Amino acid sequence: MSSDNQSSNDVLREEVRQWLAENWRPEIARTLSQEQYGWETSETRKAWLANVVESRWAVPRWPQQWYGRDLSDEQGKIVEREFAAVRAPGAGQDRINLWANTLLAGGSQALKEKLLAPLLKSEVNMCLLYSEPGAGSDLAGIRTRADRQGDHYVINGQKVWTSGAAVADYGMLIARTDWDVPKHRGISFFFCPMKQPGIEVRPLRQITDESHFNEVFITDVIVPVENLLGELNTGWQVLNMALAYERSSMGESARGPRSGVAESRNEEPLVALAREARVLAEPKLRQDIAQAISYKRLNALNSARAKADLEQGTSSSIMSLGKLAMSRILHEEARVRTEILGAQSLFEGEHYPRAEDANFLTLNAYFTSIGGGTDQIQRNIIGERVLGLPKEPEVDKTVPFRDVRTS
Amino acid sequence: METESGYDPDLWRSLSEMGVVGLVVDEAQGGSGVGPVELEAVMEEVGAALLCSPLLASGVVAAELLKALGDKGVSERLLPEIAAGTSIATAVLTGDSGCWTEEGVTITGEIQDGGWQLSGDGSYVLHGQNADVLLVVANTDEGLAAFVAASSAEGVSIEALPTFDHTLRLAGISFDGVEADRIEASGSVWEAVRRAMDLALVALAGEQAGGAQKVLDFTVEYAKTRIQFGRQIGSFQAIKHMAANLLLETESAISAARHAASRLAQDSENRAEAVSLAAFACADAFVKTAADGIQMHGGIAFTWEHPAHLYLKRARADAQLFGTPAYHRERYLQELGA
Ligand SMILES: Cc1cc2nc3c(=O)[nH]c(=O)nc-3n(C[C@H](O)[C@H](O)[C@H](O)COP(=O)(O)OP(=O)(O)OC[C@H]3O[C@@H](n4cnc5c(N)ncnc54)[C@H](O)[C@@H]3O)c2cc1C
Repeated sequence: MSSDNQSSNDVLREEVRQWLAENWRPEIARTLSQEQYGWETSETRKAWLANVVESRWAVPRWPQQWYGRDLSDEQGKIVEREFAAVRAPGAGQDRINLWANTLLAGGSQALKEKLLAPLLKSEVNMCLLYSEPGAGSDLAGIRTRADRQGDHYVINGQKVWTSGAAVADYGMLIARTDWDVPKHRGISFFFCPMKQPGIEVRPLRQITDESHFNEVFITDVIVPVENLLGELNTGWQVLNMALAYERSSMGESARGPRSGVAESRNEEPLVALAREARVLAEPKLRQDIAQAISYKRLNALNSARAKADLEQGTSSSIMSLGKLAMSRILHEEARVRTEILGAQSLFEGEHYPRAEDANFLTLNAYFTSIGGGTDQIQRNIIGERVLGLPKEPEVDKTVPFRDVRTS
Repeated sequence: METESGYDPDLWRSLSEMGVVGLVVDEAQGGSGVGPVELEAVMEEVGAALLCSPLLASGVVAAELLKALGDKGVSERLLPEIAAGTSIATAVLTGDSGCWTEEGVTITGEIQDGGWQLSGDGSYVLHGQNADVLLVVANTDEGLAAFVAASSAEGVSIEALPTFDHTLRLAGISFDGVEADRIEASGSVWEAVRRAMDLALVALAGEQAGGAQKVLDFTVEYAKTRIQFGRQIGSFQAIKHMAANLLLETESAISAARHAASRLAQDSENRAEAVSLAAFACADAFVKTAADGIQMHGGIAFTWEHPAHLYLKRARADAQLFGTPAYHRERYLQELGA
């Protein structure tokens, strides 16, 4: 690294620090740290994010034209590190904001002008309108249709498992625009406005007793032509890029306990839990705890190595392992929590926060092992795209979609 | 399942009339007079149907405990009501520790004014909130003793506990100087408790095996009908291999449960070995089958639209009652002489 680079990095670091010192005020920090997990964004958070975006710290690697600073990846990291050091949210969205990155990559000028800033500021809520009753793992099998009429498309069909649909302003939607070509070649990708009469959202009760995801019935819904991402019928490519973002973020983090009762910050949660339950001395549990913690640590090490590779310009196959690794981490952690608690895991509710957490985490692990592409599909992708193993024959890959077999 | 009592009184009545509730009670006392083998078979059905009822509490644990304690007078008074389902009995064996061992006993009995009185906090009491009769194991000056008290007796307070598995009912029961009758045990009280718990474990093993079998059945059925990528998902080796592994789990569970039942029926020397093997093998098999069953269904099994999660919840609950799989593994090894 040249000393020029070094000194400009130092200048940047100093600038971020200064800005944070002036803007990241203790009362904002306190309010945001006490926020509960949810689908809607609080006013304090929105105001903070707006400030971050307008000051160009949200997406510094992006071009000047779009709220960025044209920084290198390494410099982007510097910004993120400074934000992380004071636990301030909002930076690094050029890496992790699924919606904004997809829009930047594929959106029309008009749509970017309209929605990029609101997305970065979390002013609009989003959902993913991919899965359908007949098309889950096999997303290319979707039957929701989009038909062009003048300056807009008309959408009809049904989506399912749509997380956050009830509060969403837009959905990233895949729909079929050509029925006479093989299934991957007749799909288009849209930003679909959700607040209109033809959208009917029916909540589904999840096994965790929450209702974050929904069935969405779509009848004669209007989508302006400018809301098409990429070219017509190239939706499969846009989708794969968006899925890669989603999967890589699912490989890096997942939702934790929901009881709201604090876990130790100084110690690994499983160690703290076993200590509290007075079973930390049990040899079998010690082995299990070590194993579960190691899964998490190894994933973090993998991910750090993948990023380092990326910075040096070599792409890394490790990136695609994260989601599968996270699935194993979550299932195993929940299992060990149950093992630690023993009979106490029979309970739930506010008087049994540890049991509540163990049970919730056991169920919610399927969010990662099924949602965003199942473990089985991830293994197929790793085997075929990363290891280059022969692909499984796909019987319907070259058939016009009209003739494809369904459930 | 969503009612407070957690069972359907009409169904309970028919189960009683069919002789299911009094399965292990002698015919002379209004029961069916059969044993662990028949009980295990019935419990496989119970597991498949996820039946919610006080059968395990009253018809298995309480009935077997009374029989094993061998106090003729008390048995003749209580067993006919239990078998007829007109009285629901349950046993208070442990406290907050949830350890079903002698050390886990939390209630104490003392003689006051010429009669026995019980004090202390019991927990994990199966269907405690629905029970009429409480069989209580307590520490006394003379060692471990068994008592019978009415749930309506003065000084008894019963608190329904919130269970993760909504098909299960557990209560915490506190005793504050509760007058109780001592049950005159013909032998060691803990030995009688052990017999009752072993029968309960065989019943649970049957339930687990039946539950696992049911999950496997509907999962394989789904794999034959659900189409993705133009083929049934069961044609993917990932799914096929998971199903094959679950068959191994399920068949092993059935074998273990039935083996334990027959060893118990014969009162054979290695009954404890067979029971503890069934206890952990069936618990683990049911949890694994229910868990993988969800994965094999995909998104649909993450909702209440599909019953798969109910089986996982039941499997997790069954795995904790009367000792954890880890506890039973240890007992198994000890029985093998290690
Ligand atoms: C909590 C949660 C949130 C979700 N949120 C959203 C959302 O916001 N938006 C959205 O669009 N979708 C969402 N989904 C849907 C999710 O992406 C799908 O559930 C998932 O892709 C699986 O599809 P499916 O449920 O139809 O299962 P299926 O595709 O029917 O799969 C059933 C089983 O078959 C296996 N299988 C299928 N194909 C193969 C193969 N080729 N090889 C081996 N095994 C295979 C699967 O692994 C699975 O075990 C969510 C799902 C969950 C659980």
